[in-house]
Amino acid sequence: MSEAPIHEQPPLPVGPASANPPLSAPGDDPRWFQRAVFYEVFIRGFFDYNDDGTGDLPGLVAKLDYLQWLGVDCLWLLPFYPSPLRDGGYDISDYRAVHPDYGTVEDLGTLLREAHARGIRVIADLVINHTSDQHPWFVESRQDRTNPKADWYVWNDDDQRWPEARVVFVDVERSNWAYDPQRGQYYWHRFYGHQPDLNYENPDVADAMIDVMRFWLDLGLDGFRLDAVPFLFQRDGTSGENLAETHAFIRRVRRVLDAEYPGRILLAEANGWPVDVADYFGDGDECHLCFHFPLMPRLFMAVRREQRYPITEILAQTPEAPRGAQWATFLRNHDELTLEMVSDEERDYLFAEYAKDPRMKRHMGIGRRLAPLLERDRRLTELLFALLLSLPGSPVLYYGDEIQMGDNLYLGDRDSVRTPMQWTPDRNGGFSRADFAQLYLPPLMDPVFGFAAVNVEAQRRNPSSFLHWMRRMLAVRRQFPIFGTGEFEALPCANPSILAFVRSAREEDRVDGSGANPVLGIHNLSRFSQPAELHLGRWAGTQPFELLGRVPFPSVGSHPYPVTMAPYGFLWFELVDEAAVFPSELSLLGGVLPEESL
Amino acid sequence: MSTPDELVTTDAITPGNVESITTLIGAYVDRQGRWNDDGGDGDGAAGSTGPVSLRSASVVRHGRPGLLSVVAGVGGNDIHVVVGLRAPGEEVVFLADADESPLGIFEDEEGLALAYDATADAEFMVLLLDAVTGEQADPDRVRRVAVTRDAVALSFDDRLAFTVFQLLPEGGGPNPGLELFLALDRVGFNHVLAPITRWRIDSTDLGIVQEYQVGAAGGWVLALTSLRDLYASGGAPEQAGGDFAAEARHLGTMTARMHLGLDEAFGRKAGDVSAWVDAVESSVQGADPGLLVDEGVATMLSDLRASGSRCAAIRTHGDFHLGRVARTDQGWFVVDFSPGGVPAFGAGAVSEDGVAYRSPLADVADMLWSFHHVANVAVTERDPSGRLGLESLAQAWEVRNRRAFLAGYLHTPGIGGLVPPVRDTVRKLASAFELERSATKLAAEP
Repeated sequence: MSEAPIHEQPPLPVGPASANPPLSAPGDDPRWFQRAVFYEVFIRGFFDYNDDGTGDLPGLVAKLDYLQWLGVDCLWLLPFYPSPLRDGGYDISDYRAVHPDYGTVEDLGTLLREAHARGIRVIADLVINHTSDQHPWFVESRQDRTNPKADWYVWNDDDQRWPEARVVFVDVERSNWAYDPQRGQYYWHRFYGHQPDLNYENPDVADAMIDVMRFWLDLGLDGFRLDAVPFLFQRDGTSGENLAETHAFIRRVRRVLDAEYPGRILLAEANGWPVDVADYFGDGDECHLCFHFPLMPRLFMAVRREQRYPITEILAQTPEAPRGAQWATFLRNHDELTLEMVSDEERDYLFAEYAKDPRMKRHMGIGRRLAPLLERDRRLTELLFALLLSLPGSPVLYYGDEIQMGDNLYLGDRDSVRTPMQWTPDRNGGFSRADFAQLYLPPLMDPVFGFAAVNVEAQRRNPSSFLHWMRRMLAVRRQFPIFGTGEFEALPCANPSILAFVRSAREEDRVDGSGANPVLGIHNLSRFSQPAELHLGRWAGTQPFELLGRVPFPSVGSHPYPVTMAPYGFLWFELVDEAAVFPSELSLLGGVLPEESL
Repeated sequence: MSTPDELVTTDAITPGNVESITTLIGAYVDRQGRWNDDGGDGDGAAGSTGPVSLRSASVVRHGRPGLLSVVAGVGGNDIHVVVGLRAPGEEVVFLADADESPLGIFEDEEGLALAYDATADAEFMVLLLDAVTGEQADPDRVRRVAVTRDAVALSFDDRLAFTVFQLLPEGGGPNPGLELFLALDRVGFNHVLAPITRWRIDSTDLGIVQEYQVGAAGGWVLALTSLRDLYASGGAPEQAGGDFAAEARHLGTMTARMHLGLDEAFGRKAGDVSAWVDAVESSVQGADPGLLVDEGVATMLSDLRASGSRCAAIRTHGDFHLGRVARTDQGWFVVDFSPGGVPAFGAGAVSEDGVAYRSPLADVADMLWSFHHVANVAVTERDPSGRLGLESLAQAWEVRNRRAFLAGYLHTPGIGGLVPPVRDTVRKLASAFELERSATKLAAEP
């Protein structure tokens, strides 16, 4: 572990170990990621262990008990590698080390060991498309045209090749080519000019990148989020995106993982329409997870329009992930709320509804955290998380959203949503004991979202807090893995504000015993109470048990099943065969978590 | 686009059964109370409707359970009833909201049976679906989705929709709404539920089986959702979360495509704006002559007459409003084509061989009036006393969504050939049709 803290951090109370039984150890359950809840950690902003004003890996280790108590299954770490930090760490200058701000490789090993001991897995961002221009590979490559790394990057004598390839950062880059006077050639870069693309035509590059993966996997990392994955190869006359060669390389990586590191995963970041992104699942032989970008803005649209169609339309266009694969879903993350995957009309609507202040706009999206986006409406926030946790996909939470943290619109670019985690009402929100001026970003201090009002310590003491609600929801999701693996079927309902669906066990899951009773989810997207009549004839003879309280509801018959939904309310039911329910058992069905664990 | 199969059932009932079938139909009609001479609206008020005159009866399925398809004249209407026959003691799987008692006793060479309204029984309907289409379905997943004066619609497995026509055209023959729908489908208009099988005897349509859109919700309900949000939040409708304008714009585009499809399917006639204005004036004169005194109305009608504009006349929907359309995961659909192109109001029609051709703007006017109507119904529901002053919000909502609907309609490529070339004339003509609709509708209300 790196430099010891100046002050000993007070230990946080830990819930009973039985409250959140760990997932099986890595390697035991190859489908763990389909049932898991992911938690995205911005290490720099999570907890500062050595009091230098910047969050670090030992700080994350110190907060693992909290994350275990919360009930997350897997951490996703943003880039922690050495980097000039000209692109938030996505410009890596050394693939086999840890940025000194965050600690050391040994610190990461400690994190992995301690996380696994708590049943928590850890994956990390890995940028394989490009490096920083300060990476030794590029420094060597640009020296001349004959050095050993000369063709590790994509060089050309002019800047005219591949005109069909779009410029991704069109607001700051004019071309995908940049001239290097030292070598006297142009190099290819799909993102910033300081991020030269690696040349995957060179087998040495592909081998080197796989060796980089082995390095971290040997340390115990449970997988990678592959950043900017569509751009690995170039071909004349194409856009240079999603090429067959790229898929072939991912399949090769997957074979390495399956053969040498079973149970480890690949998560693809490919911002596109589901039907295109689904290619990265391959035939179950490429990525385990792919982010589902278009669902997120449509969740926000649906609750403002008070109708289900924005959600059901995109789900209807979403191919089912092959067995052994899964969509990854989210409400917010470390970037802006991207609106690339909506129509111009929908984007205008979302800007009007969620970014009334021009400062809220960032690039092609909205730079706000979840709670301020929803004007801190507790019921609405709960509804959106209920949808995230029950719709198909593995949900990814963003640090701080479990306590409804706010943002700082006056910080540049995407720093507005990367302010320090608010642990306590004390100095610097309990994030760091460094001088305030030394902090990487100022913590929130406003009266509504500031750390004095919104912090982990206060919410842990209050059983009715949002944090406790979230913990309870994660426990329910864990108890019903069908949320992760079950089939999804939308139910007809004449009321357009009601989104109802059933998650039921797939045929193959019924065979291996991991299948379970179907779960019925009913969600009211309206601020008003709404009636719903659901046609549940197929499940006639079952009794619905509400999942949070295990309250038995009237049995399902052949007639429409009437339900009254509270404003922004949701109900989750397990549909239990009546023959399996005995009156004497009803009284034994208690809550999901024992009261003493609250 | 698809071509539905056709099934014609021709088995005759023995003459000896005529009386008992007539009795069953009489019992059914008395129970439903939907086909009185006064055109009852199907509110369920039972009552005698006069003598039943059996027109035809066919065996759709022999044995027990068995099915008969019966057409009878009742109170000036021709109605169609599907009778289900069950051996005494057999289990009955009644659908929700259905009358569960038998219509009576029936006997034929296969023995004694209890007779039921088959559209109220899941198992009968599964058998009927099988007989008509060859499709199998789960009785537990049959449900009634609509019961109107004209028809009963049921869904099967959330996969198929079966509309059984009950009120038939006088003297039999094709169902006019079905003709419109199938013609639109043939020309590739894809905002309708795709047809699977057309059920008919001789030339009389008895039903239609279509693909079912599981996530559909009615246009009226969706508009109310938007209005509730606006009335609760106040402010400008464009700033309300439940803003309906995007939906209205897409609905306008879908409406234009429907008209282009009808034009392609049935062709067009030359329309005369002046003649239509005369018809509007005459119609309003009969319903609410005070409206014509208004200076603005008089000027509008005068301008239209003076415009000398030409406008195409096409087959139209005839009664196009928010209740006839539904929002689905694939966008807006037209889900109800009754009254089959026969306009509910008189103006704008060019009749040829008994078929009404009229300005497509008459349908547009119907929908615009529907926006007005739903906004005001929502006000009345929320604030019957008028103390909250929601009328201004209703008006703003209406204005915004009328504009959006018209923008979607008029910006659809090709629609310019069907409406007058001058936008001002388009607006005024639509307003004239809407004036007629409003006056006639209000005059018809008690």
